[in-house]
Amino acid sequence: MIISEFCMYCGECAGVCPRNLIEVGENTLKFGQKPCKNCQICIQVCPVSALEVEG
Amino acid sequence: MNMKLETIETDVLVIGAGPAGSTAAKHAAMGGAEVLLVDKKSEIGTPKRCAEGVSKNGLEKLGIKPSHRWIAAEMDRVRLVSPSGIDVWLNQENVHLPETGYNLERKVFDKHMAMDAARAGSQIMVKTLAKELTLKDDYVLVKAESMGNHIEIKSKIVIGADGPESRVGRWAGLKSTSKPKNMESGVQFEMVGVELEDTRAVEFYFGSVAPGGYAWIFPKGDDIANVGLGIINSMTSKNAYHHLLDFVRECKATQKAVSVEFNVGGIPVGGPLNEFVTDNVMLVGDAAGQVNPLTGGGIISGMQAGLIAGEVAANAINEGNCSLENLKEYETRWVEENSLSFQKYLKAKEYLLSLSNEELDSIARAFQGSDFERIGPMELLGKLVKVSPKAMVKLGKIF
Repeated sequence: MIISEFCMYCGECAGVCPRNLIEVGENTLKFGQKPCKNCQICIQVCPVSALEVEG
Repeated sequence: MNMKLETIETDVLVIGAGPAGSTAAKHAAMGGAEVLLVDKKSEIGTPKRCAEGVSKNGLEKLGIKPSHRWIAAEMDRVRLVSPSGIDVWLNQENVHLPETGYNLERKVFDKHMAMDAARAGSQIMVKTLAKELTLKDDYVLVKAESMGNHIEIKSKIVIGADGPESRVGRWAGLKSTSKPKNMESGVQFEMVGVELEDTRAVEFYFGSVAPGGYAWIFPKGDDIANVGLGIINSMTSKNAYHHLLDFVRECKATQKAVSVEFNVGGIPVGGPLNEFVTDNVMLVGDAAGQVNPLTGGGIISGMQAGLIAGEVAANAINEGNCSLENLKEYETRWVEENSLSFQKYLKAKEYLLSLSNEELDSIARAFQGSDFERIGPMELLGKLVKVSPKAMVKLGKIF
């Protein structure tokens, strides 16, 4: 996942991730080891459209 | 070099020092438990993810004395604005208004709630992020990163107050993933130079300005206010931020306003989780979905949960039994106090979201200038049904 500078680390993406893959730190956003199924729900809910699929 | 992992042992670990978490830590400590409260941020309360409104009697019920340090402004009126700008005014004395009374300075409030927890005997670790949680036979093992170091925390009970991200619940096997249709995207500017009709009135704007939610202005004294909105993303093609830019551009009050802060946050509005307790683990606040589904407000209901969860945790520690059976009392008590009103709010929200801009305007027209002091609930419903017949079906039961 490409995370743009606009990310505010609000965690909304983490709350809807069906696989609980997203770790929200104070100023970090990390996608976890388990395979992402590319459902893109995280992209849809982002209030500032900060997430984008790679490639 | 010492490579041994530091291990901390405690009775109760609270993850997240928002109002719900700090209240849980305070009451668990007051009950005699050894408590550790951790927060991933370096400064508790910052950045805020909230419009900062609470009801006065909500705080009073929690036994919290109002302090000028964290009250930005007092509110006693509400202004409801329809899509074409027709407004309806409500007064606090006439109508019970949730989330109205004080507008807080959350950054200061949250820190003070954490300080209360510390004064009650809780330890606090800031800049400490929980990364993994495993349920063991009679304790919970949490791996965390604290001030750059990897640590382990062994705790008999974990209280997850980790907000809408809510990872703790899912690590513990609770079904706390929010469906996108139940997660509102909230965005807000704190602005100066806001021209308010009344500096003691909270304003709500309805209709296509915020699909799936509403826009708000929460005054914070003088010409300062939180100006924001919440939307459901599937109901619009624009993101929340762009809806907010449009709102600020169109709204009369913000024509000369300048923003000094930008806030973002998910608001779980689907109602509380079916289960928010399991063996050795309890969830409180946004993590448990304890948010008013109509208003999106969750400070008081989350703190109520924290109070009960803290008491129940302390009892469980004293009794040496932290199983689901013994912790369930928290869930039962919270549901008893809140579920009826939450069901009503959920119904009211469904009705509100079903209204078009035109319907909202005609309702506002019917109620403009109404003296709510003299209208009883049935008369109110009757008047509403005249302009909006479907209100009978959607709201009849809750009156």
